Amino acid sequence: MSTPNRSFLAQNPSVLWFLGFLGLFTLLVTVFSEATGTGVISTSFVKTLGKILCLCLIAIAMDVVWGYCGILSLGHFAFFGIGGYAIGMWLMYARTEGIVADSLAAQAIPPTASELSDAVASQIFGVVGASEFPPIWAFAHSLPLQLLMVVLVPGLLALVFGWLAFRSRVTGVYLSILTQAMTLALSLWLFQNDSGLRGNNGLSGLQNIPGFEETPQALISIWFFWASAAALGLGYVLFAWVVSGKMGSVIRAIRDDEARVRFLGYHVESYKLFVFTLTAIVAGIAGALYYPQAGIINPAEIAPIASIYLAVWVAIGGRGRLYGAVLGTVFVTLASSWFTGGSAPDVNLGVYTIKWTDWWLVLLGVSFVAVTLFAPQGLGGLVDKLRRKA
Amino acid sequence: MSTLLELSGVSVSFDGFKAINNLSFQIGEPELRAIIGPNGAGKTTFMDIITGKTKPDEGRVIWGDKNISLLGLSESQIAREGVGRKFQKPTVFEAQTVRENLAMALKNPRGPFDVLFYKKTKRGAERVEAIAEQIGLTDSLTRLAGELSHGQKQWLEIGMLLAQEPRLLLVDEPAAGMTPAEREKTTEMLVEAAKTRAVVVVEHDMEFVRRLNCKVTVLNEGSVLAEGSIDHVTSDPQVIDVYLGR
Repeated sequence: MSTPNRSFLAQNPSVLWFLGFLGLFTLLVTVFSEATGTGVISTSFVKTLGKILCLCLIAIAMDVVWGYCGILSLGHFAFFGIGGYAIGMWLMYARTEGIVADSLAAQAIPPTASELSDAVASQIFGVVGASEFPPIWAFAHSLPLQLLMVVLVPGLLALVFGWLAFRSRVTGVYLSILTQAMTLALSLWLFQNDSGLRGNNGLSGLQNIPGFEETPQALISIWFFWASAAALGLGYVLFAWVVSGKMGSVIRAIRDDEARVRFLGYHVESYKLFVFTLTAIVAGIAGALYYPQAGIINPAEIAPIASIYLAVWVAIGGRGRLYGAVLGTVFVTLASSWFTGGSAPDVNLGVYTIKWTDWWLVLLGVSFVAVTLFAPQGLGGLVDKLRRKA
Repeated sequence: MSTLLELSGVSVSFDGFKAINNLSFQIGEPELRAIIGPNGAGKTTFMDIITGKTKPDEGRVIWGDKNISLLGLSESQIAREGVGRKFQKPTVFEAQTVRENLAMALKNPRGPFDVLFYKKTKRGAERVEAIAEQIGLTDSLTRLAGELSHGQKQWLEIGMLLAQEPRLLLVDEPAAGMTPAEREKTTEMLVEAAKTRAVVVVEHDMEFVRRLNCKVTVLNEGSVLAEGSIDHVTSDPQVIDVYLGR
């Protein structure tokens, strides 16, 4: 064990750069936020920034699985959504239980445990016409167990799905379609009222953290922002480590010529499964941090289009470089909120007026095609060019 | 010299076409062997069967001192048993450096977690240096494999095979597209490698085979037509008829 950490960071100066930028950014947001600073940045914008950090985290996971290992997964948002649902179940349960317990406390006879549980259930599931907890809510009362689910459920789903797909040597566009089918199936299942997760209503009120009812949202938002920044920093270091050494060498080789890697004696399927599962777990964690900031999760979040956006971010940012994924995500999500938020001026062409709220997706699609055709290295490729000149 | 690999009665057909027809073949350790034959004689299919890419319809493929069958093993298991394969088109990982290519091929545990927690060792670095020396790429270790010339890529691939420390090396048309000087060097490498292991060279080029100066097996229509020294097989009327006479 000859100082592996130092040599790792020495070999990967981009990791230090990234951590430096992230730290500075976090500091600036903290200083200008409402809760801990001057208040220039509104609480809702702090939440937006925190959410973008979570999206960056799933984007670097996507970059590892696609940009480095060559698996174009169009289903990673399913794992993100599962992470969100897992934490959302606890948030909703614990908060509803608190409210119900308060309202029943006024009664002359204190409620029994089962009365309390029934009241909580009908409160949560009344909207889909049910009044009992479905079996998948068995651990919802416990924060540690639900946190475990954030990691376990996406991990196990990815492990089983990946094992079946990779073992049958499904690759390329067929694998992409299969992952797309997985996320679509999950989304359709969640849309049903009897899925046990409130159908198309989803889980809501997730911004209210049980036990912190008196804490202002301004403060909670900055906590989540910090947690998201920390998770992104850790995730970046983890993935940079995975893709740097011999592991990175092997997975890039799998991307470029998997048959050759097999003849070198590597069991390609195990490597793909490892990368697919690890990135799914990180996606789950990113989702668990995202949805409390968004406040609501519903099955539409898991629709196939979300995972396609993810691929677009990574492609625009530049595949095969982690900071590229971050650049692409930040750039596209900020541009998206500017164009669709109504602040982009309409373009009057005389015969037709381009309203960006309608035309943003067209613009995004055109940029995606343009990047693919003319700048396959994406935004990250520009950074590389500048660095080489410097 | 003991038998390392034995194929007996192997047949395989694709859509009714018999690519390999009741083929029997043996190679010892160490040994250098050349395989020649016209197009469609089954040379590539022969290698596909040994490396596990193609499963034969019938026949046996027996390997090593313990006489295990290779038929039940996957490609990567067969590679770990000690079968290395060089493809006709040089297939090196062009986006990675020569050193990374060689390091990946070095004989080491191959599981994902072994690789994830792999620590660079002095011994490994020395092995890479030694192989680079052997294949004449010492000065190119930090270059990307994609920047190498065609001949250098072929050597890098041979180097990767040597790094795997295989007991059997299957080499498909190593001399294709090489300059005379490059051919000479390739011949030397293969002859050197065959001193300690079995090497099977599939080649079209008679001159190259003659320089290897080894036993030759002639394949035709999926089975062995003749076997022996180059002079012996080139004077065989049947061989002249199907192959050389054309």
